[in-house]
Amino acid sequence: MNPRRNLRKIALLFRRDLAIARSYRVVFVLELFQAFFGVAAFYYLSRFVQSPELTRALPQGGNYFAFALVGIAFFDYLGVAMDTFDRSIQEARQNGTLETLLVSQTSLPVILSGSAVYPFLLLAMRTVVYLGWGIALFHFPARQANWAGAILVLLMSVLAFAGLGVLSASYLLLFKRGNPAKWLVVGLSGVVGGMMYPVSVLPDSLQRVARLVPLTYSLEGMRAALLGRASLAELWPSVRALFVFAAVLLPVSFVVFSWALRRTKITGTLTHF
Amino acid sequence: MSQDAILVENLEKNFPPTYSGWRTLLLPVARLTLRALAGVSLSVRPGEALALIGANGAGKSTLLRILTTLLVPTRGRAVVAGFDVEREPARVRRQLGFHASSEGGFYGRLSARENLEFFAALNNLGRAEAAHSIARVVELLGLAAVMDRQVRTLSTGTVHRLGLARALLHAPAVLLLDEPTRSLDPLAAAEFRRFLRDDVVRQHGTTLLFASHTLAEVEQLADRVALLDAGRLLAWDTQQGLLAAAGSATLEQALQAFTSRAPTEASR
Repeated sequence: MNPRRNLRKIALLFRRDLAIARSYRVVFVLELFQAFFGVAAFYYLSRFVQSPELTRALPQGGNYFAFALVGIAFFDYLGVAMDTFDRSIQEARQNGTLETLLVSQTSLPVILSGSAVYPFLLLAMRTVVYLGWGIALFHFPARQANWAGAILVLLMSVLAFAGLGVLSASYLLLFKRGNPAKWLVVGLSGVVGGMMYPVSVLPDSLQRVARLVPLTYSLEGMRAALLGRASLAELWPSVRALFVFAAVLLPVSFVVFSWALRRTKITGTLTHF
Repeated sequence: MSQDAILVENLEKNFPPTYSGWRTLLLPVARLTLRALAGVSLSVRPGEALALIGANGAGKSTLLRILTTLLVPTRGRAVVAGFDVEREPARVRRQLGFHASSEGGFYGRLSARENLEFFAALNNLGRAEAAHSIARVVELLGLAAVMDRQVRTLSTGTVHRLGLARALLHAPAVLLLDEPTRSLDPLAAAEFRRFLRDDVVRQHGTTLLFASHTLAEVEQLADRVALLDAGRLLAWDTQQGLLAAAGSATLEQALQAFTSRAPTEASR
């Protein structure tokens, strides 16, 4: 184990993905416009549904547009986490690099970590674009934001979500396709995690389920930081919960992934897709 | 530490049956009932070239993949450069170069150079060392003209040569090749065999284990030949030894003689 060498390899895997992405230049420009249309649609939808009752139901008060924009922008981090490890394995299987990567002198956790850097950085850029359009054209209340707190919540969220993503990749490794783990986590989080509405509007039973979902703490912390000007101390409950999720999920996911990889080496299905 | 570069003892490998539909969910815990290797034992000395020959499904690729740590054996033991493939897989991988002609295994939208630089770094070569090593294998394999082209624009044969270049980048002690000259034109194949025999094996002392269906290639490259049939090792000797044991004049005739003598699957 050589941390410096592993960091160099993670940077190398990022540069690989960046170089491949640069060969599809038009896609990035299209992303900018796609984000614009998404933000615009939610702005006009929020104007349509805005009411004093709705404002009272929102944890930070204010307008529904800001609430929804944060929910949509940061829900994507869960989606990318659930997708990115799956996709890197699937692509490596399809282009035949999986065996070569696994025969190399680079451990699998380093390969997986390095393969996740580009998708998350791309998503971070997309988030900036989302918020940028919101601030520039649609009155997103950026002056209230605690940006340092938001970045802390984001980093903890990514770690917690990554654990779920590696678990999802373990399923893919074993069963090749049709991933109910991804469906369950993304679907359940979408319903109870507070993406489009506050968790407080859910029935009690679903509110209890929401407490078991990392997205709930991620969005609570993110909205408190961006819309409620919460201090780091006020963000602590969300950060602590995300830390616990990450501390449990990451090691468990790597153990499960190692087991799944060994099973595929026993059954001879490593390169099947 | 073993004296042999590769040591295989009573190696067995079984796979689960092929499932479809909902039964694929059982695959990870399925019983391993299909035999691919049945008690294979052989060894390869340092600096020796050993060929694995046999029909499709004989177990050649399975044996190579166990040695690369891509498959876990069901029973028995395999050791590469003194390291057990099951217990010390990371150390085994440090000794290995591997290329299977059936797979491209490159990033099509990156150039040949970017691909080689990438895999050199994954195999712990520093920048200067990688540049030197890439220059060496590129010259040896005649790849200079294509190094700045995207891999997706290269011919199958060129991609294959690039794969061989990648396997040699970190100057491995043991080189495992699955059909090393498949997809190469006859002249390139002959040139590559000369390169493997004279440079890689004789000059650098690299141990070579390769699977091949091309008997002329086996005759040209191999010090010894292992003949596999339905997962069993039928014979393992020098080419002269095999010909004498089979009472044959050519390797092809010897292959036929040994295979016809072997008990059929049903009679075992």
